[in-house]
Amino acid sequence: MMSAPGRGSALLRKDLRSVHSLVTTEDTDYDPRPDSRHFYEDDSARSVHDEYPRLPPTLCHRGIYLRRDHLPTTTPQTAPNPRHYTIQAGIILTRAPLLTREQTPFENAFYLYQKRLNERLTAPFRPAFYFKPDTALDLDWRLKLRERHGVPAKDIGRYNPRGRMAWNDEVMVGSPVCDPENIREKLLADAELRVSEDGEPIPAEDRVPVERPMPRRTEADEKRDTKRLDRALDKTLYLVVKKGSGEQARWEFPCGLVTTEEALHETAARVLAEAAGVNMNTWIVGRVPVAHHVVAPEFDEATGALRNRGTKIFYLKGRILAGQVTLTKDNLRGVTDFQWLTKDELNGVIPRDLYPSVRNMFELR
Amino acid sequence: MGKLPSTLLRRPCLTGRLPTISPGFTHTPLAPLIPSPATTTITPLPTLRPTQVRHATFIPRHRRPYQFTQLVQLSDGSTFTVRTTSPQALYRSDKDSRNHILWNPSEASLRNVEVDEAGKLAAFRERYGTAWDLEGGAGKGAAPAAGDKDAAGKKGEAKDAAAPAQEEEQHDSLVDLISAFATVDNSVKGGMSAKAQAKLEKGKKK
Repeated sequence: MMSAPGRGSALLRKDLRSVHSLVTTEDTDYDPRPDSRHFYEDDSARSVHDEYPRLPPTLCHRGIYLRRDHLPTTTPQTAPNPRHYTIQAGIILTRAPLLTREQTPFENAFYLYQKRLNERLTAPFRPAFYFKPDTALDLDWRLKLRERHGVPAKDIGRYNPRGRMAWNDEVMVGSPVCDPENIREKLLADAELRVSEDGEPIPAEDRVPVERPMPRRTEADEKRDTKRLDRALDKTLYLVVKKGSGEQARWEFPCGLVTTEEALHETAARVLAEAAGVNMNTWIVGRVPVAHHVVAPEFDEATGALRNRGTKIFYLKGRILAGQVTLTKDNLRGVTDFQWLTKDELNGVIPRDLYPSVRNMFELR
Repeated sequence: MGKLPSTLLRRPCLTGRLPTISPGFTHTPLAPLIPSPATTTITPLPTLRPTQVRHATFIPRHRRPYQFTQLVQLSDGSTFTVRTTSPQALYRSDKDSRNHILWNPSEASLRNVEVDEAGKLAAFRERYGTAWDLEGGAGKGAAPAAGDKDAAGKKGEAKDAAAPAQEEEQHDSLVDLISAFATVDNSVKGGMSAKAQAKLEKGKKK
């Protein structure tokens, strides 16, 4: 049987003996292990059995235990058999966001206000410290300064901190002055050199345009290619794999049975390598599961015999740093497809009962 | 000025009521604040003290330099803004965390690949062995351009190069290492002062 050594196994043996005497005979002829591999059974609540007797199975699934004095009558007949559950470990592989999220209108207005306030409190700009007089850069600076109506800053609009209207430092709702996109355009326009080395102003058609920065939305976003990792750059992506085909197809996080020789994180790493290939640089964040999901066992209504064993899946969190999922024909886990999805997209893809179990490990926004 | 609560509720003024404390007495019990009808003597107002009092100091605002908003563009095209004293509107970085091997350990294109088209590195290895190579260790790396004969010769040299490495390993502690270095090396020439040298030669002549 199990190879758990020491005190735990002694406890287990004692409890098993008591359970065998208590529980109905339906599990005596049931052998849960079809192969030679040993898997953990759910004996997590065994050691606290004496002080915290188990509730009926429906409550037990939520991890609720009551003290003996709180319990009106002990009901040993309804204590669930550990053999009714198998323990699995899964991994929720995530890709961290690569970009900061977009600012809210309030944040835009706040930052603009702070800049204008700072304008009133700092020393005035001294161009002579930065530009040698009558050089091309100095002429360029003066040309651009004139176009900004003498405001040295490029991103605060027309605002004079020492003028008569210095108090008027806020803009109307919906004003483009505080829009980050507008600020970026202003800065890029300012980066363009407009005076030649000879000090002559360059005509608009001869100016060298500044290279545009990369957009927030990538090509994969436009094509809605959910297999690529360079999509939804400001959100966390989660890996889901497809098992089975046709009607039985099911999107889920990679998971597999925990063997007796393995800890949860080791199983998670093994399962990930089996399901998604080894061409990834991943890192499992801690050894503590971030979510768990319980599938209740099924019993035969007439005889009360166990028909299908329940499952307890413990999910660990992983990060992908580089690489991509590679699926081969002879995939060990029977994975046929994969997707990198955001939190919102996962809601309709993974099973309806799984989503509430793992929801709390997702990013907040 | 409106009627603020602070103006309505004033603290009781005790200046006219408190008795003056004469310096001759070490301990004077304070007279009751509300004078009883029996003792209705009014104490005189306290005189100004000669010592200086410092109520407040004007602290001028720190003078900070003028700051601009600058757009910083990383090597992969992503941008962010910073506040800086530089009037430059756009800053492009050539080398940053997006294209450096330290932050991208699995990026093969960033690895330092040896380019040896002229065969100079192979020639150096043929002559001096591979002990100078940073990666791979001594005697491990073999130059691809070298032939079988060269490789055989290299093996011998590599063994020689590997010998000091083994020697280093047998030093168990740091003390052993230091004492090993402190031993006098007889093969080193010199080490004698001119005076001692002259003395020695004088003795030889005799």
